[in-house]
Amino acid sequence: MAIPEFLQGPSELDVSGPKVITSFKLFGLTINFTETVVLEWIVMAIIIGLVIFLTRNLRVRNISKRQAVAEMAVEAISNLVRDTMGKRFLSFTPYIATIFCFSIFGSLISLLGLRAVTSDFSVLLTWAAITFILITATKIRFGGVGGYLKGFADPIPVMLPINILSEVATPTAMALRHFGNIAGGSIIMGLVYYGLTALCHMIRLQIPILTVGIPAVLSLYFDLFSDFMQAFIFIMLTMVFISNAGPADDAAEA
Amino acid sequence: MKLGFLSIDIGTILFTLCNTLILFLALKHFLFAPVQKILSERKAAVDQTLADAEDARSRAEAAETEYNEKLANAKEESAEMLRTATRRAQQRSDEIVAQAREEAAGIMQQNRDELERERRRAASALRSEISGLAVAAAEKVVEREINQADHERLIDEFIDSVGDVQ
Repeated sequence: MAIPEFLQGPSELDVSGPKVITSFKLFGLTINFTETVVLEWIVMAIIIGLVIFLTRNLRVRNISKRQAVAEMAVEAISNLVRDTMGKRFLSFTPYIATIFCFSIFGSLISLLGLRAVTSDFSVLLTWAAITFILITATKIRFGGVGGYLKGFADPIPVMLPINILSEVATPTAMALRHFGNIAGGSIIMGLVYYGLTALCHMIRLQIPILTVGIPAVLSLYFDLFSDFMQAFIFIMLTMVFISNAGPADDAAEA
Repeated sequence: MKLGFLSIDIGTILFTLCNTLILFLALKHFLFAPVQKILSERKAAVDQTLADAEDARSRAEAAETEYNEKLANAKEESAEMLRTATRRAQQRSDEIVAQAREEAAGIMQQNRDELERERRRAASALRSEISGLAVAAAEKVVEREINQADHERLIDEFIDSVGDVQ
């Protein structure tokens, strides 16, 4: 009896980056249109659809459950930003929410059998770069260009290379941490599937039924928990670094 | 074709940048703006309600003060009325008693006068009877006809003297 291919389980462990769907040249630069971008669109469609669904028919009184959820979400993220960054950075709330939603849904999409958006290092690097730009912009906003440049020679000019390094290390570390956790998690899950399949074949089971329940338990940590944690850590670091770029004195805002 | 596992792809970066911006704008427009508008509207409504309640409370307090004042005034007025009425009644009763006393005194006086007249009448009747009796007795005693007029004069003198003695 021939077993259909999709029931046979993975025959090899695939550790590779996203597929390139098409590429084109722009100003002499090869631009790849990859799987990740399509997945991003799917994630965005889910988030925007959810948001539009939640904020339909907003009312001041007699609110629906959907509206309660939307209000709770907005207030929760606003409170988080206010508590972490202070009132003066409250305008960052939508950006923090964007990264948080994008990260969580981009990671959780792996539960649907798709590639996680966040297992593409370029995505995390982009978000980390945005954070880096915001940190730098905040430093310049509060200290001026001179103050920003002087900060590199702080406390003594000899520290200049180390300061530059730490400045670059911040976004790099953030991107690598997030990428490493999600991609690592997906590799481990792939290994588990692969290993369980091999085990089933070893004990002469044609259909790898061991892969039905056991990976779900591990998936709770490597997918669900890790996805939430990494999204949360990423936004927390973003908030802390940006608010630390401002003046240390919080008394003025009270 | 697949990219490397840890590849840095400029195309993905550019697309991700645009997508993130689009999602940011979408969240701002579809989630934060409307929800925050509703939240601030609700806050305004709650503030309005609180202000209204405060207003109503102060008005109720003013009404209560006014009511208490009116009540106190009414009480005082009623007490005043009671006092006036009592005083008037006292006055009236005094008047009535005085009048009654006067009337009673008048009646007593009349009675006394009447009694006096009666006494006088009786006395004069008695006097004439006594004089008649005396004349008769004297006629019997002296057994002779004497001048009636003289006798009567004599007897009157006698009675007067008797009356004086009495």
